[in-house]
Amino acid sequence: MATTSTPPGVSRVDLARLTEHWAESPSLRGWFSTVDHKRIGRRYLVTAGVFFVLAGLSALAMRTQLARPEAGLLSPEEYNQLFTMHGTAMIFLFATPMLFGFGNYLVPLMIGARDMAFPRLNAFGYWVFLFAGLFMWASLPFGAAPNNGWFAYAPLSSEQHNPGLHMDVYALGLLFLGISTTAASINFIVTALKLRAPGMSLNRVPLFVWAIVATAFMVIFALPALNLDNAMLFLDRRFDTHFFDPSAGGNVLLWQHLFWIFGHPDVYIIVMPGLGIVSAVLPAFTRRGVVGYPLIVLSIVAIAIISFGVWVHHMFATGLPQLSYSFFSAASTIITIPSGLQIFAWLATMLLGRLVIRVPLLFVVGFIVTFVLGGVTGTMFALTAFDQQVTDTYFVVAHFHYVLIGGAVFPMLAGIYYWLPKITGRMYHEGLGRWAFWLVFAGMHVTFFPMHLYGLFGMPRRVYTYASEPGWGGWNLVSTIGSYVLALGLLLVLVGVVHAVRRGRPAPPDPWGADTLEWATTSPPEPYNFPVLPRVHSLHPVWDERTAESTGEGATADRILSEGRVTLLTSELDARVERPVPMPESTLKPLVLAAALLVLFAALLVAWYPVAAVAAVVVAATIAVWLWPAGPSRTSGVATP
Amino acid sequence: MTTTPPGPRARLTGGVLLWYGVLGGAVAWAVHVVAAWGLDELACAAGSDRVLAMPLGRVVGLAVIVPALVTAGSLAVAALAWRRTARAQATGTQDRAYGRSRMLAVVGVWVNLLFLTIIVLGGVAVLVLPPCQL
Repeated sequence: MATTSTPPGVSRVDLARLTEHWAESPSLRGWFSTVDHKRIGRRYLVTAGVFFVLAGLSALAMRTQLARPEAGLLSPEEYNQLFTMHGTAMIFLFATPMLFGFGNYLVPLMIGARDMAFPRLNAFGYWVFLFAGLFMWASLPFGAAPNNGWFAYAPLSSEQHNPGLHMDVYALGLLFLGISTTAASINFIVTALKLRAPGMSLNRVPLFVWAIVATAFMVIFALPALNLDNAMLFLDRRFDTHFFDPSAGGNVLLWQHLFWIFGHPDVYIIVMPGLGIVSAVLPAFTRRGVVGYPLIVLSIVAIAIISFGVWVHHMFATGLPQLSYSFFSAASTIITIPSGLQIFAWLATMLLGRLVIRVPLLFVVGFIVTFVLGGVTGTMFALTAFDQQVTDTYFVVAHFHYVLIGGAVFPMLAGIYYWLPKITGRMYHEGLGRWAFWLVFAGMHVTFFPMHLYGLFGMPRRVYTYASEPGWGGWNLVSTIGSYVLALGLLLVLVGVVHAVRRGRPAPPDPWGADTLEWATTSPPEPYNFPVLPRVHSLHPVWDERTAESTGEGATADRILSEGRVTLLTSELDARVERPVPMPESTLKPLVLAAALLVLFAALLVAWYPVAAVAAVVVAATIAVWLWPAGPSRTSGVATP
Repeated sequence: MTTTPPGPRARLTGGVLLWYGVLGGAVAWAVHVVAAWGLDELACAAGSDRVLAMPLGRVVGLAVIVPALVTAGSLAVAALAWRRTARAQATGTQDRAYGRSRMLAVVGVWVNLLFLTIIVLGGVAVLVLPPCQL
């Protein structure tokens, strides 16, 4: 619940002006036209959560089918679509958007800014994400969902081997979604480099922000490879080009190279913000800063770069020269060092700090246990000979679920409990949260640990059923029981969130005694985030008296900025004040542009090319109107794009 | 606390040289991976063991040695920046650019060590494996 008293350092008049400039109208139009990073961040979290539920229900259907040999709940065609949509949605429609939702909500607050650098681009990114997700999920009821696995290997994805719309939905859906991910990444980078509060030099940037920025850079460099791959796949399928057809001079391994040039960095794109959440949560529950801040920054930077040089370890069974494997084997081995560095830093933080056992910390501990187990099997894949033995078995399925649930879902759940008071202004129920943790933790390990075993026993992945003779039935039943326990735990998380929103007690600005700037403002924050933009004097600004004083009595007008809808521009390295910059107001243009793109991609899918051409014209016109130089802003007096 | 400014040799706080110390090894390693892997895979796929009349093994060896030297240079620059900013901080300067540069130097030292290790480990394989062995 927002604090209503006037904060020190700012007058009632200034507060009224700030509210006038930053508050958006509570109307239907206001709902569709919002550019407030907090509202957009919440929408990312909720929408990604809905896609997570859909992908999770797909998994439950598959686990039910596999609970016993030769079951008939699902047909092979249905199973193919479910496992493909499960993987595609978890990777592209849940993990990254959910973590970008945290980033959207938190990055401006953590760096002491009033919004993202490009608020309209931010709104556009959300609408594109929503429409791309609906575009892909809508294909499932029609039996036309992607059915080739989430990495869609050629030549199985070609029209000849896979007729119908299935893989067209995949290629076009991911191209559409890529627009959103790229836009969000550019926004994160510019926001973190140019809008940091005065004094927040690079060595005072919160680790979560470092992680988001590194992730954004990875997206910018990795996603073009996937976009190129999908564009070529669509052209091969629809217009009979032959990029992946060796008989016509194409190369079937080209798909795999391009996919994994994106795909392996994408593992870290998913995990890295999760690691950032862990570094953000720990100080509040250990009562000290994370040990080895520069080394964790080193680890983030090193992982972000090295992750681009390990992709061929996904292709160790494709018959390339042994010497070329060695370069990737070396990088795949060494990348464990920076990952391990972070683990040891967190363990040292817990060892040296004073532990406060609350639900967010439980999920952090669960993350460490699960992620380390996934890391151990990951190191095993760096050895070419071992990798070739277990390729395409359930051992691989076990490994990446340990890495992704451990490295992303556990930190997300820690983050949900940790920031729920800030986002909703309400405290969660501790008992419900603890039950949820233990069910999720137990369910996860009961589901996925046996997969290591029946993977080593030879059970291939992506089979819709299996015979009883190999003896995999018992282990599969254990996995299925575990999956229902896991689902129950996740349901309790949802119940906890709803309970907090409806019945939780009001949250104070900083219920945890945490150290980063989002806790220096009200819960939930006002539309302008901070009445006075702080001047940062240390890595732990909320624990630092001088930073707190900078927002108190005597705060100067150049950090109140109540004359318009403006925030402060600062220098990239040392966050020295450059000038105030105007911020755009709410608008429907992002929604219109995203809707026009939806029509364009839908028309391409069903081969209505004249409609696609019209939609392309609308897209171009909307962009032109958007970028047309504007007159002086109503609230800032400065021209805004 | 004294505010005596550090000597001019300590002003290694922005500039191209500092960024070479931080990211030089990363760029060199990226060139190494693309060159060594790309030449090996493409030449072998074309059925050739020579590139521009040079034996493939020697070309791949060059794609290891040159980036390794560039990375070693980057490591030396990062170490130098780390020492100089340490001295500057010892004089009690309040300029936060020194704190930021020192952190970047620490990151540079460790990250260059990692990249040098990767390049050397990949390079060992050049000595052991024939270029086109499947």
